[in-house]
Amino acid sequence: MIQVPPYLRKGDIIGLVCPAGFMAKEKTDACAEILGKWGFKVITGKSVGNQFHYFSGTDEERLADLQQMLDNPEIKAILCARGGYGTSRIIDDINWKAFNKNPKWVIGYSDITVLHCHLFQKLRMASVHAPMAGAFADGEDEFVLSLKKALTGKVLSYSIESHPFNRTGNAIGPLLGGNLSLLAHLTGTPSMPSLKGAILFIEDVGEYLYNIDRMLLQLDRAGKLKSLAGMIIGGFTDNKDTITPIGKTAYELIADRISGYPFPVAFNFPVSHDKNNFALRAGMNHSLKVGNSRVSLTGKP
Amino acid sequence: MLRRNFLQRLGPLGATLAAAPGLVAFTNEPAAKRGPNPPYLKTGDYIGITCPAGTIDQKEARYAEVMLGRWGFKTKLGNTIGKNWNHFAGTDEERAADFQQLLDDPIVKAIIFGRGGYGTMRMMDKVNWEGFKKNPKWLVGYSDITAFHCHINRNFGIPTIHARMAGGFGTIEDESEISLRDTLSGKPQVYRWGRDILNREGLGEGILVGGNLSLIYAMQAGPSELDTTGKILFIEDVSEYKYTVDRMMMNLKRSGKLSKLAGLIVGGFTATKEDGEGYFTISMNEIIFEKVKEYGYPVAFGFPAGHQRPNLALKFGMQFQFNVSKEDCVLAEPSGLNPMMPVSFGHDTITAPIDSLPFPL
Repeated sequence: MIQVPPYLRKGDIIGLVCPAGFMAKEKTDACAEILGKWGFKVITGKSVGNQFHYFSGTDEERLADLQQMLDNPEIKAILCARGGYGTSRIIDDINWKAFNKNPKWVIGYSDITVLHCHLFQKLRMASVHAPMAGAFADGEDEFVLSLKKALTGKVLSYSIESHPFNRTGNAIGPLLGGNLSLLAHLTGTPSMPSLKGAILFIEDVGEYLYNIDRMLLQLDRAGKLKSLAGMIIGGFTDNKDTITPIGKTAYELIADRISGYPFPVAFNFPVSHDKNNFALRAGMNHSLKVGNSRVSLTGKP
Repeated sequence: MLRRNFLQRLGPLGATLAAAPGLVAFTNEPAAKRGPNPPYLKTGDYIGITCPAGTIDQKEARYAEVMLGRWGFKTKLGNTIGKNWNHFAGTDEERAADFQQLLDDPIVKAIIFGRGGYGTMRMMDKVNWEGFKKNPKWLVGYSDITAFHCHINRNFGIPTIHARMAGGFGTIEDESEISLRDTLSGKPQVYRWGRDILNREGLGEGILVGGNLSLIYAMQAGPSELDTTGKILFIEDVSEYKYTVDRMMMNLKRSGKLSKLAGLIVGGFTATKEDGEGYFTISMNEIIFEKVKEYGYPVAFGFPAGHQRPNLALKFGMQFQFNVSKEDCVLAEPSGLNPMMPVSFGHDTITAPIDSLPFPL
């Protein structure tokens, strides 16, 4: 059974950290302000605004900041302010003891896919795949607001138009996934879930089209696609191509790659590095319905 | 430095290595799956050329034919030469069929691939290896062809050759081609190259495996995943961001691929892309060394192979001795280090005067 951290109530404290790439502190201001408006208190970790080359501190500094947020029982959720790269450099040194006793929500996407997968695979813990601090800069749009719903225990129900590449059908299973590059990065490591019976969602940004194909082929050859209950294809934005074009779009490559499987598939779901990025409770059971005209994804608290 | 080393003979070092096997760090791991060695080539043998990934044109194939002809080999061109299907030299099925035909043709004693790019992994699972397992032949390539190297090493233990491919031959024979010619003809490989500040000294012995890091990574957890236990691992890559290399190395580390090596050899990491965010300031070698610093096996940077000149031939799936000392690094097949025989060294057979070679050493 999946462990579900307690949902947040007014007055609860949310910790802001940067476990990977660095982020200027002022870029988290809008996020802290809106979280405050929602009735939460915000504690900003030392890693926010800190910088060690590419990273928001040395591995030791980032680890220590995340660790104290995990261990502090007053903090009810940890919002990773940004991704980039670096979470997997510290994940094996995290002590999960206190967190496991007093679970809390871990929030983020992109590089934070490492945490979502690790939490599911090693601790059977739910987490929230959602917009990070940068997304709050434009105010409370429906995507930012979806995080509030996710954290406060509302039913998450998203309904979108069907895409011509969709494969119709219904699926129920734990919702897992995130950034395709990070899923490939976790393949073969102890953090990677089996994905058997799961609804897998994927998205990516700035990748070469051939690499999108290669990463999906890697997941397939590693047996990660064959037993899925369903698949959700989010945004593949800012794709790059080789001098000799691969001749297909990202969605065409993905559709080809999974054409042999029977599970339902929904393309163009609003989970991405773009603005369109709804909060999803990773690890928890969801119901995916792919019909001829509409697609719905529903996750109960 | 490199040039002088290439022209030096191994001398006493080779003798020391061969005469004192007790110094060599043998691992206690059981021997990996070990298939038969493909027979070395004789004058008049046929070499097939096919494109499992990107394509080469007729002109490039002609250059390769001329060069292989000079070496005394005949060529058999596959029908993927000059074929184009988007990024690839034909559909996955067409590329698999072309390779299959040359693989199963008893006349063909070796296959040199046209070029890398991307696509080997897409056609590889369509190949029937039964004939190859019974009658192995040398398969030659690098970069995307690492998919074959990994798959064959993991599943059949049959040696393969990591070397320049037909599309890269051009009109001039350099050390890369000559090392391939010597390798195909059965000359034991003995390489010596210069030291690097980050090298870790030591002796190791094991089967050499590896290739392009991105492809080794893409094989992870699948049916072609490399077993690196007790092996000497060679890696190279091209046009990657530093953070991507860090991420790939973290994957190998976290999946246990780096903890039980007999040695690590780092080839070229070339044409590295500028990170968009500009802050990944440590060097590529530092990124790599960081992932293996806690282990004890020898590590050597700067082996001249990869997406660069020279790109010296390496035999994967075969036993090598590896010595990293203060002065230099040596990678040699044990048969190349017999102290009773004059030490054979691949590069003293270069036919052109070395100063006339069109590239800096």
